[in-house]
Amino acid sequence: MDATEFPHASALSARVCIVGAGPVGISLALALAESGVDVLLLEAGGAHADATSQAFYQGTVADAAMHSPLDEYRERRLGGSTTIWGGRCMPFDPIDFEARDWIPNSGWPIGPEALAPYYAPANQLCEAGSFAYTIASAFDGPMKPMIEGFEGSDFSTDTLERFSCPTDFGERYRERLTQARTLRLVLNAAVTEVDLDADGSIVTGLAVRTAAGASFTVMADQIVLAMGGLEIPRLLLASRRVQPNGIGNRHGVLGRYYMCHIAGTMGLFRALGGSDAVWHGYDVADDGSYCRRRLALRPETQRTQKLGNFVARLHHPRIADSHHQTAVLSALYLGRVLVPKQYRKRLQDADPDGLAGTLRHLGNVARDPVGVARFAQAMLVGRKLAARKYPSIVVRPRNGTFSLDFHAEQEPNWQSRVLLGEERDPWGMPRLEADWRYSRGDVTTVQGAMALLAADIKRSGCGTFDYDPNVVEEEMTRYGAYPGHHIGTARMGGDPRHSVVDADCRVHDVSNLHLAGASVFPTSSQANPTLTAVALALRLADRLKVIVA
Amino acid sequence: MRILVLGADGFVGKRALAALAATDWATPVAGGRRECDKGVIERIVLDATDQAAVAKAVDRVDAVVNCIAGDNRAVINNAKALAAAGSGKRIVHLSSMAVYGSATGTIDEAAPLLADNGAYAAAKAQAERHLAGVAQLVILRPGCIYGPHSAQWTQRIADLLIAHRIGDLGAGGDGYSNLVHVDDVATAILSALRFPGAAGQAFNLAMPDAPDWNGYFLALARALGAVPIRRLPEWRLKIETRLIAAPLRIAASGSHRLPPPIPPSLARLWRQDIRLSSARASSMLAMRWTSLDEGIAGSAAWYSGRPRNDA
Repeated sequence: MDATEFPHASALSARVCIVGAGPVGISLALALAESGVDVLLLEAGGAHADATSQAFYQGTVADAAMHSPLDEYRERRLGGSTTIWGGRCMPFDPIDFEARDWIPNSGWPIGPEALAPYYAPANQLCEAGSFAYTIASAFDGPMKPMIEGFEGSDFSTDTLERFSCPTDFGERYRERLTQARTLRLVLNAAVTEVDLDADGSIVTGLAVRTAAGASFTVMADQIVLAMGGLEIPRLLLASRRVQPNGIGNRHGVLGRYYMCHIAGTMGLFRALGGSDAVWHGYDVADDGSYCRRRLALRPETQRTQKLGNFVARLHHPRIADSHHQTAVLSALYLGRVLVPKQYRKRLQDADPDGLAGTLRHLGNVARDPVGVARFAQAMLVGRKLAARKYPSIVVRPRNGTFSLDFHAEQEPNWQSRVLLGEERDPWGMPRLEADWRYSRGDVTTVQGAMALLAADIKRSGCGTFDYDPNVVEEEMTRYGAYPGHHIGTARMGGDPRHSVVDADCRVHDVSNLHLAGASVFPTSSQANPTLTAVALALRLADRLKVIVA
Repeated sequence: MRILVLGADGFVGKRALAALAATDWATPVAGGRRECDKGVIERIVLDATDQAAVAKAVDRVDAVVNCIAGDNRAVINNAKALAAAGSGKRIVHLSSMAVYGSATGTIDEAAPLLADNGAYAAAKAQAERHLAGVAQLVILRPGCIYGPHSAQWTQRIADLLIAHRIGDLGAGGDGYSNLVHVDDVATAILSALRFPGAAGQAFNLAMPDAPDWNGYFLALARALGAVPIRRLPEWRLKIETRLIAAPLRIAASGSHRLPPPIPPSLARLWRQDIRLSSARASSMLAMRWTSLDEGIAGSAAWYSGRPRNDA
């Protein structure tokens, strides 16, 4: 259904209304509809990208160097941000759920066992193959080691990240959504306000605007907001008619503890056995999905060293620096304008050697044009034309040196927040302002992990790892907050003074309002959030089935 | 108890015959078009669409298992002949889930016989209607029968997997497979013959918790060593069904060596959200279903060891 065809001032009702048809909303809706629950799924955008719709996401950022513009890296349309995601999946680690005294405000009100039954079906929905995240469980035979001779006491190399196609949930599940008998999907229907009863304990309705500007209302027994980690606090903060501070914000927690991830590329690993001693590429599982190993900071070490969670991948050396002598990398550097915008960011660095460097890049390409052509062909067949895409560019550097691509947990921090700004969108809703901050603890985690990794490599005698400890903070913030991961803005917890939703994702004090997505995560883990957000949504689906039964 | 199996040389007929022979209560009698020199099982050579021949054969036995497949006309005429034989003896008739046509959702035996997607479905539904007056009739409606010697749901799928013409089909393989192992069909036939309360009933036959087609393809590919499977874009299947299937089918009629076609009806089935509920068979026929792991292991072992051109 398309809301633009609805008559003005009409009304819809349902047992459960889900707001937002991204990966979380779609997974939740499908799970409920499979059990015959009457579901209304509202999507603010349409079936395709549309600049007018996308512009509703515009907002302001406190520091443009630290945070990408708010209408980038998220999509207001069917499928949500899975229409542009990279597809990296991995579950949270058990330690992520713990209250760790060295990470302020850490600890989930649920343990890993609460999510365990939902990860495998979530993995299936994400199309990341079977739920097997160690090399031993995912593959039968012995595999080439990630780094020959590496024996880490603080780092492991046997865990995996797996990749979705990457699946656009809108395209992939549209047929299922439309076939489900008890499910109605309404596009171009943007919720602008959540209405409460007089004492604020129950949602009485949702005010919705169509893309054409008409308004209508939705009444439902149970409401789930699944609009992503930025739109959820925005809508709740903007719904001030009964609760002057916004819904679920009695204690001022809503929009705070805003986390992304801390990421960067730094250091130089030189393998003793050269490039042949390193396997930093993808392995293909039986089901066809791509898997990649990474260096993961062991939970015991996180505990003893009082660090946050941290993983790192071996990456080709810095592309701009022509000394890598690698034809493919030089070709990428010289042709960087052709690379899609979200991946181009890290190619923007100026060549440190200016014109001489450019000439050297040309020389690198000239040395191996066949290799460049072969790479281009592999990218065309494996990525552009393939239904399951080769996830990223993996190039074997000629000189056996690699940089380190890290992805670290960001601590929950009261100061880091999103709030309502002064500007308003065409429907009169305040636009969002993002004031993302990192903390000392985040720097400590990256610094500590880098030092431990260097020590592990040295002890193993498998090569050398050089990095400048003095530039860790600079490197980890070079591109600001990791874009597209919007976490923690409506955190889960047992105590309403420090959280927005309870362990069942229900807003404290509002009996029929539930939140789904990464906004409820109390901590961010090293893991990308989508898989866990979907798993948590499936858990919420089970909860809602009981409530409406 | 003498049991006539019509279509005794077919995939299900053969298996039913063997299952009957293994019991201590049944004496199977094979009914088929061809003379067969070897074998200890009594054989009546007949045209199962010929009313007089069928009536005569039914006279000589206590019950009938009707496994006639073949072209649609034969299916209908066979049902007419069997109905006309009108013996009061128990007839276990093998119908098909195809009678439910394009229905979606969970389908039990009370669902209407839409039979709206092709001549085969229409013929199977018509056959059921012709037989409706038979007093001791038991109708079995199996889903997709797989297992050793299954040309359609084991051999063809395995051929396609090995050629990487199918694999992970995305939404194109989201349909529920409704697989049933051929041994389970044979067991259901035995129960349907013996259980007095089965008369006048229809039974869906599909393993509970059957995988979706993508899940079946992956599991079979694993057992065959045809991994990793590939995710196929939607256009690949469109090329198969729209451009390749028809010429392949025409060419294949002259030779057995050609790869199997993927007709549009097959691609449609793979994405059809239809779940046969076999709760009635589970309880009334006391079915214990072969697990998917077991069924696939046996299927793969048969496929790998079979002589070429096994039909």
